[in-house]
Amino acid sequence: MNSFSNTNYSPSIKLADLVEKNAHLLLLLEHFEINFPLNNKSILQICEEKNIDTNLFFVILSLYNTTDFVPNKPLSFNDIVPIVSFLKKSHHFYSKEMYPNILQSIKEMAQVNNYKEMSLVEKFFINYFNEVTEHLNYENEIVFPYVLSLHEKIAHPNATKQKTQYSVMEYKEHHNDIEEKLTDLKNLLINYLPEKNDQVIRRKLFFKLYKLEYDLTIHSKIEDLLLIPLVGRMEQSLKNEQQ
Amino acid sequence: MNNNKHSHIIILEPSLIIAEGLVYLINKQSKSFEFSIINSLEKIDLITTRKKTELIIINPSYIQNNTKSFNNIKNDYHQIKWIGLIYAYFEQELLDKLDDIITISDTIEVIYGKINKLLNQENTCNKTNSPEILSDREIDVLKLLAVGLTNKEIADKLTISIHTVISHRKNISQKTGIKSVSGLTIYAVLQKIISTDSLSL
Repeated sequence: MNSFSNTNYSPSIKLADLVEKNAHLLLLLEHFEINFPLNNKSILQICEEKNIDTNLFFVILSLYNTTDFVPNKPLSFNDIVPIVSFLKKSHHFYSKEMYPNILQSIKEMAQVNNYKEMSLVEKFFINYFNEVTEHLNYENEIVFPYVLSLHEKIAHPNATKQKTQYSVMEYKEHHNDIEEKLTDLKNLLINYLPEKNDQVIRRKLFFKLYKLEYDLTIHSKIEDLLLIPLVGRMEQSLKNEQQ
Repeated sequence: MNNNKHSHIIILEPSLIIAEGLVYLINKQSKSFEFSIINSLEKIDLITTRKKTELIIINPSYIQNNTKSFNNIKNDYHQIKWIGLIYAYFEQELLDKLDDIITISDTIEVIYGKINKLLNQENTCNKTNSPEILSDREIDVLKLLAVGLTNKEIADKLTISIHTVISHRKNISQKTGIKSVSGLTIYAVLQKIISTDSLSL
């Protein structure tokens, strides 16, 4: 990832050129609902079409392209809408596509390796999948509506004010690390799980795990580095208004 | 841990009488070795790619005018141990390149002892260098963790402080690369630290 350490992108760059250099950006496109073909369009053109601020786009792009990128420009309150939409799309990708897909591979592996340790791994993953689903549902049903309601209140200050009990600090506590068990699973498969003619299935599974892990890492960074500070500022701004 | 069942030894010795004699005597002590007798340094590569080799018994005359290629081989196969087979005078500097030496006047017990010592050394050395080997105490903690005990319960059971339990857990995760309790449970089963019967899954 370090090879993309240049974070000074120009809005006139063709998006396709960047995708060519880092295949993980395919998921960035999908989460932003940018569809193919890209028709050699520049980043600026695409952002305008999709109503995404270029600054926000560059920040997320840099998170995908540079391992240790830390955003340094504050985002605007309006960015919250595309951020939430991006996160929701990624949730959909995880829970409807990636996790079921991985579960499928694990089941295939369990069929080839019918020893009891493998069934433990299957159970491990199913439990983990449930935890993740619960976490994603919590974000979809509680956190995101709350965040969008804050944005509504700021955008339309005269609408009826409902007092919300919830705060982003609560979310921060609830925000547990869903990548940990994924890493554990990878380690079990790489280092410990005995092999019984499953090299090909295992390799396919690895690619899926790496793909998911990559996207999840960035997903968490978007939540921790962009969403939570932005919502914190929105809460503060509303509080100041009320006083 | 003395498991030489499949240990493979290469003998580099120009005299077939001496080489075969050595094989005969070692075989009398134990049938747990396999031998390849060769007569040039270049053949080491060929043999070792076919068969994992633990030990090479070498007549130092092969090294004398070939120090450079000997050093290369030694670097390429740093896990292989080297014993010099001596029946003529060699510079000490040359012998220092080897892990040990035997002479043709040595009794078979001495020779066998030296071979075993080197092969076991490799094992113990592997053991200490291997990062995933847990200490006995860490295994105690892992066993209790895997059956679902909390840090507090583990501390009480082992009569250690909760901080010690946490530090053991940190080390366990560092060594195994696995952080979650459910992941560690599977690790413990795979490593035969616990059996699946003791699991409350």
